[in-house]
Amino acid sequence: MWRFYLEVARTAFRRQLIYRWANLAGLMTNLFFGAIFSYVIIGLFHARSAVNGYNVLDILRYTWLVQSMIMIVLTFGWFDLMLTIRTGMVISDMSKPCDFYWYWFSRECGRDLYFLIYRGIPTYVGGMLLFGLGAPGDWYYWPAFLLSLALGSCFGIAYRVLYNAIAFWFLEARGIGTMVVVVALFFTGSYVPIPLFPHWLLMIAQWLPFNALLNVPAEILLNNVSAGTIVFELARQLAWVIIITLLVRLVIKRAARRVIVQGG
Amino acid sequence: MATITRHNATNRQTIAHLLSDTRLYLRLIWTQIRSQGQYKTDMFVNIGTYFLTTSLEFTTVFLYFANFPSLLGWTVGEVALLYAVMSIGFGLSEMFGAGLDVFPDTIRLGEFDRVLLRPVSVLLQVASSDFRLRRLGRITQGIAALFIATAFLPAFHWTLLKVVILLISVVSGAILFLSVWLLGATMCFWTVEPTEIVNILTYGGRDMLTYPLNIYNQVMQRFFLFVVPLAFGTFVPVCYMLGKPLPLDLPNNLVFASPAIAIAFFLVARAIWQFGVRRYQSTGS
Repeated sequence: MWRFYLEVARTAFRRQLIYRWANLAGLMTNLFFGAIFSYVIIGLFHARSAVNGYNVLDILRYTWLVQSMIMIVLTFGWFDLMLTIRTGMVISDMSKPCDFYWYWFSRECGRDLYFLIYRGIPTYVGGMLLFGLGAPGDWYYWPAFLLSLALGSCFGIAYRVLYNAIAFWFLEARGIGTMVVVVALFFTGSYVPIPLFPHWLLMIAQWLPFNALLNVPAEILLNNVSAGTIVFELARQLAWVIIITLLVRLVIKRAARRVIVQGG
Repeated sequence: MATITRHNATNRQTIAHLLSDTRLYLRLIWTQIRSQGQYKTDMFVNIGTYFLTTSLEFTTVFLYFANFPSLLGWTVGEVALLYAVMSIGFGLSEMFGAGLDVFPDTIRLGEFDRVLLRPVSVLLQVASSDFRLRRLGRITQGIAALFIATAFLPAFHWTLLKVVILLISVVSGAILFLSVWLLGATMCFWTVEPTEIVNILTYGGRDMLTYPLNIYNQVMQRFFLFVVPLAFGTFVPVCYMLGKPLPLDLPNNLVFASPAIAIAFFLVARAIWQFGVRRYQSTGS
């Protein structure tokens, strides 16, 4: 069975390859937004040299890491599943001889991998060239970072499927979907870098599930997590992934009972 | 004499056209509002979520300033004022230009062919093809932000002149952003695939103009002043209201040129749009 899922992932990866120009345009957008945030940060740091032990370069690196990972982990405006629910096409996916969730999971894995190679890495390189960021982290942080990024992606996929599944109950759920993503974006540090949060908000953010998305991998790569706490951070991330995966599977199971095929 | 009467006749015709176009536009929009009003809960939920989303955006400004006293001389209240003015203008453009936002789909599905066949202005049909009441969420949030911003500016007092400047700013901002949406829609004539590049100008422009223009690189400053003059709808008027100098030694009175610049930019965008319409070939699917 895993060969089937692998094939699904491969197909999803290859489908993305077609949109070459769209990806280039998206890359430009990421670079532009990265540049805006960078100028704001540089401007702010004129008034103070360090905040919570982070200097301007740390925060710039953080911002560009988030900007690079955002399309991999937390795609804005992803309503693919919702659309199949509205058009009724979802039924053909549901009647496939495979698990509905793992089917979408493999599809999104393929897409995530594509975005890692063709969007994430070029975005960071762009930031390096534009703002002289330099390569982050010592080499031994990289395996931990990759593991953390993979966990973040798993969480992201489950989250995506979860808010799309609202459409099983409300057909037009894009407003809610957008809000849910914005809240997640906020608590992943893509609006304001998490290290700049005031202390009380920082505490809340660290214990929210959204912390598992982008903040943990970013902090690991910036060497801000000591060797001892890495294990703890990864375990907490894994726990969130398991919880949300179970939740999304439960929701889908419930939804499947409600689906009625119309017409012929 | 003959030429003068002909002139008058064409003038009268244009005015008649304009009136009937406006009436038609309002009518098309009204049907959309009514259809959205059918699902009352959905409508209120949508407006509410949009309000919350934009409020979070506004909170960002305050979070940045939690750690820093100023942004190159701009205090939190001043940046908040900039945000509020931008948000209202952007919100208006988003509400009226929604049809332009979904234009890629219109092209892709071949619906544009049908639009071209109707004996009414093409731009009018496209602009009125979608209207989202939920965008009211941003506008109300922008107005709320305006009050919050002034609360953070103890030395700031509203005068008649400042109110006029505010109106100039909001109207020019709306026209400028609307022109950018129009340019984005025009791109679809050349690339059927909806591109994200437009987002740089619309959402990117919006986010960028949340903060004072002078923090950016010179090229970006000049671009948003002279090429795509979005700054004239937000930054330039706010500088005038706060008595701050403009970058590049520009005179502050330039603010009074904002409406003219906005309209000129709109006319350019419309000319490019019309050029695009003329060379449109159906996708034929």
